[in-house]
Amino acid sequence: MTNDKNSNRVSSKLELTNVSRKFGAVIALDGLNLTVEPGELVALLGPSGCGKTTALRIVAGLESADSGSLKVNGVSYLAKPANERDMGMVFQSYSLFPNMTVAENIEYGLRVRKIDSIKRGKIVNEKLELVALGEKARSYPHQLSGGQQQRVALARALAIEPTVLLLDEPLSALDAQVRSQIREEIRRIQLNLGITTLFVTHDQEEAMSIADRVGVMSHGKLEQIDKPISIYNNPATPFVASFVGQANKIPAQVTERGNVKVLGQKIQLSKHSSEIADGRNVTALIRPESLHIVPDSDPEGTPGQIVIKSFLGPLTKLGLTVEGGLLVHLNVSSKEVRKIEIGDRISIMIVAEEVMVESA
Amino acid sequence: MKNSRNRVVTVTIVLVLALLIFVLPLVAASEFSFRGAGGKGHSFINYVWLIHQDGFASHLLTSLQLALLSGLINLILMVPTAVLLHLKLAKWRSIVEFICILPLIIPVVSLAIGAQVAMPKFVQNSQYELVFFFVIIALPFTYRTLDTALSSIDLKTLVEASRSLGASWPATIIRVIIPSIRGGITGALFLSFALAIGEFTITSLLHWDTFPTWTVVAAQQNILGAIALSVFSFVGAVLLMVLIAMVSNHKRSKSNSQLEEVAP
Repeated sequence: MTNDKNSNRVSSKLELTNVSRKFGAVIALDGLNLTVEPGELVALLGPSGCGKTTALRIVAGLESADSGSLKVNGVSYLAKPANERDMGMVFQSYSLFPNMTVAENIEYGLRVRKIDSIKRGKIVNEKLELVALGEKARSYPHQLSGGQQQRVALARALAIEPTVLLLDEPLSALDAQVRSQIREEIRRIQLNLGITTLFVTHDQEEAMSIADRVGVMSHGKLEQIDKPISIYNNPATPFVASFVGQANKIPAQVTERGNVKVLGQKIQLSKHSSEIADGRNVTALIRPESLHIVPDSDPEGTPGQIVIKSFLGPLTKLGLTVEGGLLVHLNVSSKEVRKIEIGDRISIMIVAEEVMVESA
Repeated sequence: MKNSRNRVVTVTIVLVLALLIFVLPLVAASEFSFRGAGGKGHSFINYVWLIHQDGFASHLLTSLQLALLSGLINLILMVPTAVLLHLKLAKWRSIVEFICILPLIIPVVSLAIGAQVAMPKFVQNSQYELVFFFVIIALPFTYRTLDTALSSIDLKTLVEASRSLGASWPATIIRVIIPSIRGGITGALFLSFALAIGEFTITSLLHWDTFPTWTVVAAQQNILGAIALSVFSFVGAVLLMVLIAMVSNHKRSKSNSQLEEVAP
């Protein structure tokens, strides 16, 4: 346990051990192990149905676990009902009480805890200030924009000084610009308060930009949990490599001493793929930014013809057909490809220290 | 442009016709109710006659009591049931809906005679047995009104938000669910009340006397007095509706002003 920077609140350690949950024949969680350190923000990332929301709901007490344990600061929480867990939760659909004003919504958790009105008023003011909505205290939820509603929901969750803050896809219902703004606000507040936070999202950009660590989930299991940069650069499984960021799937062959031959180049095999036998045909997962344009004279270059050119601002996405009709994508600087048009022929090569492969 | 103008004209004609159909009989009845003795001149004589009739106040009070009681019992039974069906027992919704429609299908005579026989003697001997029947005949309307109100809010998330903020189930129902469906509750209460206060058939079949059965007897003595009675009943119902709406709104504004003491 650690003390927060700006309050008397104690940051909590959250531990899920071997947590499983089935819905009929569907396995939602399959022995999930996850530890969130005090003051840390962990994002659970994965496609729909991977079990991330189920995990969050089990932590909140809104869903029960079939087996396993859930501990906060070493104390078992699985048997506690949701209203005794002291966890603040922000939902995707805002979930503000429509019959209450902004201040009344924020005050709700304090009122049920029978905190006296003077202290309640003080906390409500603090939280309104925290989310910069002081002037909206007397507004009703329907008078607020989506972003403002979500900020109120955040203030309401924080007002009870929760042991753990749970965010269930809180930005999904917002438009892109507001989403980015609220995301930064959530991170600022989380760092400021030092509150242990579990954040669930299917948006990898969101997870990568906000979290201390990202846990990638698939079929009820945690495939990998690590810092965002490690998840991106050193994916532990082919699923993580293909789900996080984009990856070209290129036929390759494992050669001697842990190398793989792909697009005519020999590259070291990722340590996570090292169990694959020599000589075996595999599929290499190559990120678009790992492919670079090289002069036609480069003997290691792979020639191809441009079939797609999409301008994305500072970057341009190129689609290139190489030998055998295989389509590969590469992201290059827009400046670099200013004079290149669809139909032109260029050569590319892979610039990566190691490559992840999956069975062909 | 022309289509739009035609639509406005059509809507206006329909509205005026509808207004005439509803308002003309009321205006005519009101005018009749104020006619003096022998139909000449205008005065309050029919209303004075009405008030001075034996049993006016006692029967009105009895009906009000029974209607209020049946309205409250209906809410106490149906609000938790509807909430439970929405939250936990969704599979049972169609079955409960069917059961709640039965009072519209079963003939009132069968309901009155059949159900009365099944009741214990001490209930059969009290006029409060009518409350039981009034609750049953209002079921289709109260259930439907509450069901619609609950469907219009994100009940599950609101409940989960309330629970995660530390509220118990009773606190969640009282502080979040009921205020969120206040309109539906007011509507259900009014429908139940209106049905009960105007119920005649079951009361008559079971040989009890309430305001509607008394009016039938009273109306036979004085035709203009009977019209005054109809106008009185109508205005009374409207006033009650306004009163219920006002109480509901007052509660809301009171809770807002309490909040303002806390808010910055």
